[in-house]
Amino acid sequence: MTSLLRTFGPSLTAVILLLTGLWIVGMIVAPQLIMVDKSFWYLDRGGDAGALSVRIDSLYNDVDLLGWDKTDTEALEPSAERDLKLVEIEQQITEKKAEITELETREIKPKKVYSLANYTLMGAAHFAIFAKTIFAALAVTVIAFIVCYPIAYSVAKLAPPGKAAIIMLGLIVPYAINELLRIFAWLMILNYNGVINVMLGFFGMEPVPFLESGSGVFIAMVYAYVLFMVFPIYNTVETLDTAQIEAARDLGAPMWKIHLRVILPHAKPGIAVGAIMTFMLSAGSYAVPYIMTRGIAAPWFTQLIYNKFFESNNWNAGAAYAFTLLITCTLFIFLLMRIFKIGIKDIAR
Amino acid sequence: MRGKDVVLKNVSMRFGDFTAVQPTDLLIEAGEFFSILGPSGCGKTTILRMISGFLVPSSGDILIGGESMQGAGPHKRPTALIFQSLALFPLMSVWENVAFGLEMRDWPKAKRRERAQELLEMTALADQAEKKPTDLSGGQRQRVAIARALAVEPAVLLLDEPLSALDLKLRQHMRAELKDIQRKTGVTFIYITHDQGEALTMSDRTAVMRDGVVEQVDTTDRIYDTPATAFVASFVGENNVVRGRVSDVADGFASLESAHGNFRALNPGGLTARDEGILFVRPEKMTILARGEHGENAIDVNFLRRDLEGPFVNLFFTRNGDVFAVHLTNTKTAGQDVSGETTIAFAPEDGLILAAGELADD
Repeated sequence: MTSLLRTFGPSLTAVILLLTGLWIVGMIVAPQLIMVDKSFWYLDRGGDAGALSVRIDSLYNDVDLLGWDKTDTEALEPSAERDLKLVEIEQQITEKKAEITELETREIKPKKVYSLANYTLMGAAHFAIFAKTIFAALAVTVIAFIVCYPIAYSVAKLAPPGKAAIIMLGLIVPYAINELLRIFAWLMILNYNGVINVMLGFFGMEPVPFLESGSGVFIAMVYAYVLFMVFPIYNTVETLDTAQIEAARDLGAPMWKIHLRVILPHAKPGIAVGAIMTFMLSAGSYAVPYIMTRGIAAPWFTQLIYNKFFESNNWNAGAAYAFTLLITCTLFIFLLMRIFKIGIKDIAR
Repeated sequence: MRGKDVVLKNVSMRFGDFTAVQPTDLLIEAGEFFSILGPSGCGKTTILRMISGFLVPSSGDILIGGESMQGAGPHKRPTALIFQSLALFPLMSVWENVAFGLEMRDWPKAKRRERAQELLEMTALADQAEKKPTDLSGGQRQRVAIARALAVEPAVLLLDEPLSALDLKLRQHMRAELKDIQRKTGVTFIYITHDQGEALTMSDRTAVMRDGVVEQVDTTDRIYDTPATAFVASFVGENNVVRGRVSDVADGFASLESAHGNFRALNPGGLTARDEGILFVRPEKMTILARGEHGENAIDVNFLRRDLEGPFVNLFFTRNGDVFAVHLTNTKTAGQDVSGETTIAFAPEDGLILAAGELADD
């Protein structure tokens, strides 16, 4: 704080603090809090909202019918019996109207009830999708590590410096292409009459339903997020003193043991950062499952969240679904960090 | 542990167009403390890396204990290398570092721990075993690196300027310690350094290198007292240097004509008349003549300044822009009375006239 003041002076410091504050409060804290809040209440319309509106409609019908009854009765010859019937009809109309008013108030201004109900909504089908999404994200992370670690190691430690820069540039280029386009490319490759299946057909083989079986989502996801692992690992491996690798070699360590005892432990923070990024991106990806399933395969959890928000128009349930995913992913990451003995400090290193 | 001898036969190293080491023959005896001394970029580290197996020579062969090392990787050689950066494994404890080589040789854990403890005791680190290397001082880390290298029982220990990161006091202390460990273990030490002080104090023999060429291999006394080339003379120790032309040679002595007068000194290189030569005289071999006294090898100079350097007093003089230095043993009054025009001189057997050549730039 004092150093900030010393570096930028009072007015600039005030601007910086104000903007940072606005950003934290306006872009992070407030939306999250609103979502958390939403996830903990629902609108009580006295049962089903649909049933409610049906009930109101039928009450209006009743009032209309009673109106005709009243007109009919008024057309009768005046008598004590007629007057009695009119009073009875009037009374019924008033009662019905009162009920309409009450129900309409409930429909327009339903009661807000705080409870955990939104979190217990998930049925077996949705839970299966949830588990599938988490498992797929984990698998993407593992595959990304298997692919990225050798790349990162060779670029950082084996390639001559000039070449390393070119390789890294080459790795970045695909990421300059719009994510949607990259996914569409896979759509064309994996489609039922796509590139692979045409080639299989050429060899007289049955086409494989990549998209319909859901594996298309997984393949495209691996491709879309795999390289988010390369850069953090590369950055940590690069800081390893090459003399340490040589020392291990000199002391008789075979290459795989050097990786296991010297390079991997050193790269652990980078691996952790890469794994978190890949895992979170995969678990929270919407574009990939949306494009790859298109209604021909079972949806992914992110699609369920989207549907809750914008198709069921139930933001409360949507928020609860979204938070379930977020919390599960976070706990999962802490669990993995525990297993691999990685501290928060290591990651910040 | 027993040392083995190391023989370089016509070994050279080229990187593309650049020749880092010219074809070199070298014999390092079993159990000796051998230094390779030279300025940075002279090829000394390349030689070390060739002996350790990290580099494959462009030509020639390296023999350790009489066995050719052709095709043998670093782990197949009876050598252990101590890196300039030490290259300790920061995530392992001290004892795990020391036992790393044994772990790679599949020793059971209890035996590894025991052996590591023995080595840590030898290097006075017995109570630091569980710490991480980063928690140790510079000198302690140094000793961990030595213990780690000795754990694999090498016949030849290669040291790549391991003391360069330490401060002066610690460096002097570690010199003695290294020498002591070498004597205790009997392992052949090959020590790379650009610090002539380190080479002179620790080594039995020293090789002085320049631009990929070994200029002289000799005992440290002889390197200092009878350098073979102008480069060796100028790189090792301090000198008064006078350039000139040989006018006359007789009985192992030569006379040199120079801008500062004629001088007579030893002629170990067998120079003949009219050869370009350089006179080298160590500052501690110079004497200050009494006022009015004159004689052979005397130079009239003007007093410049007096620097106190603990055991020495350094007196500096000038003559026509050239600086001459005289070291006197510090006897409280040494050099106090020197001022103004003075005459300094040296005995003919204390000076060397060597063939003109490139000097070490310092």
